[in-house]
Amino acid sequence: MLQVQRDQNDAQQFWLALLGAVRHASATPSRAEPPAATPEFNGRAMVDRVLSELADRRGPLIVVIDDLHELHSQEALALLTRLLTNLPPQVHAILTTRHDVPLGLHQLRLAGELAEIRAADLRFTERETRELLDTEGIALSAAGAALLRQRTEGWAAGLRLAALSLAGHPDPERFVAEFSGSDRTVAEYLLAEMLERQRDDVQDLVLRTSLLDRVNGELADLLTGRLGSERILLELEDANAFVVSLDAERTWFRYHQLFGEFLRLELRRTLPEEVPELHRRAAGWFTLQGQVVEAIRHTQAAGDWPVAARLLADHSFSLTLDGQAQTIQALLRAFPPGAPTDDPELALVRAADDLLHGHLDEATAHLAVAETHVETTPLDRQRRLQMAIVSLKLSLARRRGHLAGVIEQARLLASPISGQSDEEIALGSDLRAVALMNLGTVEAWSLGLPDAERHLQEGALLARSIGRPYLEVGCLAQLGFASRIRSFAITRQRCREAIALADRHGWGAEPVIAPALVTLAANLVWTGELDEAERWLQRTAQALQTDTGPGIRQLLHLATGRLHAGRGRYHESLEEFSAAEHLQSQLEGSHALASQVTGWILSTQARLGMPGQARAALAALTDEQANSGEIRNARAAICLTEGDPAGALGALADVLDGTAAVIGYITVVEAQLLAALAHRALGDQNAANMAAERALALAEPDRLVLPFVTTGAQELLESLPRHATAHAALLADILDVVHGASLTASNQSPSPHTEELSPSEFRVLRYLPTNLSRPEIASELSVSVNTVNTHIRSIYAKLQASDRSSAVQRARELRLLSARRTR
Amino acid sequence: MRVHPAARDSDIVDSTPARYVIQIHGHLGPTVLLAFPALVSQWHGADTVLIGLLDRSALYGVLAQIETLGLDLVEVRQLTQHQKSPRSGDSRSP
Repeated sequence: MLQVQRDQNDAQQFWLALLGAVRHASATPSRAEPPAATPEFNGRAMVDRVLSELADRRGPLIVVIDDLHELHSQEALALLTRLLTNLPPQVHAILTTRHDVPLGLHQLRLAGELAEIRAADLRFTERETRELLDTEGIALSAAGAALLRQRTEGWAAGLRLAALSLAGHPDPERFVAEFSGSDRTVAEYLLAEMLERQRDDVQDLVLRTSLLDRVNGELADLLTGRLGSERILLELEDANAFVVSLDAERTWFRYHQLFGEFLRLELRRTLPEEVPELHRRAAGWFTLQGQVVEAIRHTQAAGDWPVAARLLADHSFSLTLDGQAQTIQALLRAFPPGAPTDDPELALVRAADDLLHGHLDEATAHLAVAETHVETTPLDRQRRLQMAIVSLKLSLARRRGHLAGVIEQARLLASPISGQSDEEIALGSDLRAVALMNLGTVEAWSLGLPDAERHLQEGALLARSIGRPYLEVGCLAQLGFASRIRSFAITRQRCREAIALADRHGWGAEPVIAPALVTLAANLVWTGELDEAERWLQRTAQALQTDTGPGIRQLLHLATGRLHAGRGRYHESLEEFSAAEHLQSQLEGSHALASQVTGWILSTQARLGMPGQARAALAALTDEQANSGEIRNARAAICLTEGDPAGALGALADVLDGTAAVIGYITVVEAQLLAALAHRALGDQNAANMAAERALALAEPDRLVLPFVTTGAQELLESLPRHATAHAALLADILDVVHGASLTASNQSPSPHTEELSPSEFRVLRYLPTNLSRPEIASELSVSVNTVNTHIRSIYAKLQASDRSSAVQRARELRLLSARRTR
Repeated sequence: MRVHPAARDSDIVDSTPARYVIQIHGHLGPTVLLAFPALVSQWHGADTVLIGLLDRSALYGVLAQIETLGLDLVEVRQLTQHQKSPRSGDSRSP
């Protein structure tokens, strides 16, 4: 059961509450944790999650949503429509609402799956009225009951109110007669009656606490200035007097909406001068309890706009991280019109809100307003304001892909917070964690990679210590992306860690984890594990459904392009690379991947037999671009296509001797292969083999496969003399991929029947995929043929294989031939 | 009732104020009248009539208040420029 909060504007808050209620009903221990919020809300994913948890239930379930009219979010209602029209068969829903809401239920109505109980159905008949009176023990004549029913027109709430006053009344008939004879509206008459009959202290209590959405004893004591409120509230609930407790322990209470509404008006009529002060006291109490949103609402109601602005500004980061972005918007709207432009703190909140919704220009404008006021801000708030501004600027820069010139400001963020109150440190930590994440991200994308790693690791640690899993995932995801300079193994490990953490919190399809998803996918493409890579690319595409900016999309296109290339589909590959290049123009400033993108496009064009086009594009590059290793490789590829191997070698010279700027060693591997092809074309088979061998040597540690496939080196590799290479296993893998296979990574643990191979057996195993004969293997390993035979027999036994090829297959499945298993 | 459906694009809400007459069954006491500060009240027989200048969003606010207070809404009418006050025989049916 879920009761919608009063004036619920926040779609995510509503849906989190609904998901929580569903989980609570299911009560399986593994799902006991409350669902976590994200700064950006993915409605579709949320509905899917709720539907799948509902589908998991075995028995029937009824979902009750009360006070649906309080849901003021169009987005939430639209999602609710989707949920209701897709309920699993054993789940039913009951909605209560005061007025019709825009839920598109006509489909259900037409299918006869909707039962509506409308106002007319709910009216009490005469018989029902008499039943009610009997149940309450009220002695009223039949005529009196009829009169009562007529006066209230059978309105249930009115009858209940009347019953409250009638119970224990000395003269019920007279009461009904007077009530009937009055012209007052039913509610007002009966509520005034009921209030009047209460003790003075009770009247005072309900009046003063009417301005709260929920009340407990402590808060009521604070507002009335007396003790003993809890007892009164409990008494009222026991008397069924329109007070209802909200928790099992009966500590929190709520007034029935009609009652509360009337009380609020009555409060304004009888104690108008006290209302602001009451709001202030409530705000103070909520602040101490850490219930910031309530505190801000009451401060606004008291008319203390500057105080409310400060509160909102201080907590907007935390609130956003708690998934209350839409609540923040509602709070912002409640400020008087001039406020955002006058108040720098509010301008900052507004900027953050704009940023969240992708309104980058508005964000910049509001940020500028905030900045102009930094000097005039009181000193104790200056540092926070500055840090918030810097953090937002970094966030903005990250969204825009505009990376230059922001990093100097990061110095401010480097120094940890000290010498402040606990609360300030807590507020500052959120800010600092976000800032570290943004800083690390910006650095990762502009090739400041060692700094990026450092900051992202620090950010992740801080996030974990302050209990911000979303930020931790964000940092770790970007760390995966930033690990490009590390070995593939480390990159994969980091990506998988980030993804596992995200999955644990239900964020596996959120944009936040996309950097790790795409980096892992790209990584797998490089090592020829194309099928698994494709699955990760699909997940990335899913996570990027809500737009997150051009940078990461570009990565997705690049990885997909390389996947196609690995499968020999060069036209699709070129499409993807062109899409990547198109996005480049949306990224301001020079960008890490630019030369790589261009290089790949040119090489692919050459491969597809379009050297003329490639040459034209080449000519359009600046000198600086043209001198990068990636472009040199492309130029070499074009030369080879044009039948100019000497020209190719000339282009490659600087890459091969290490003087050209390269993004990573992969470029050098490519260069060696292209050189090998050039030598071969020039008839120098020896030099070709040596270059190929150098390429293999470079590729061995990470088991790099893709460049070998995409440089058109098939014939060259096939003709490599097998005993002349120390990298036979890698070569075999490469040729597999060239011939259209995808290397598989088995995630299953080795079958229990497999014994571990000894190191010597491993050494022999690595030669099995080659076509070296046993004597040749023996010669390679400098052992006797008998030794090799013994090892092979043992290998077959341990792998439960009957011959060489099945042994190789089994070894591949068990990942025994991958770099991760060798030390 | 000449009330437009609520599902309109909020960006193009007509914000020109107009004079409205809102008729509610029963007499509203001073407490409940506090909920309608922008309106003047008159009693018409057993009903209360609230009159005032409201733009669209204020009108919806008033209607929401009426619903919240459980009041019995009889009629909402927008006065044309030539009308200054409602004439008894002039009510159009909702």
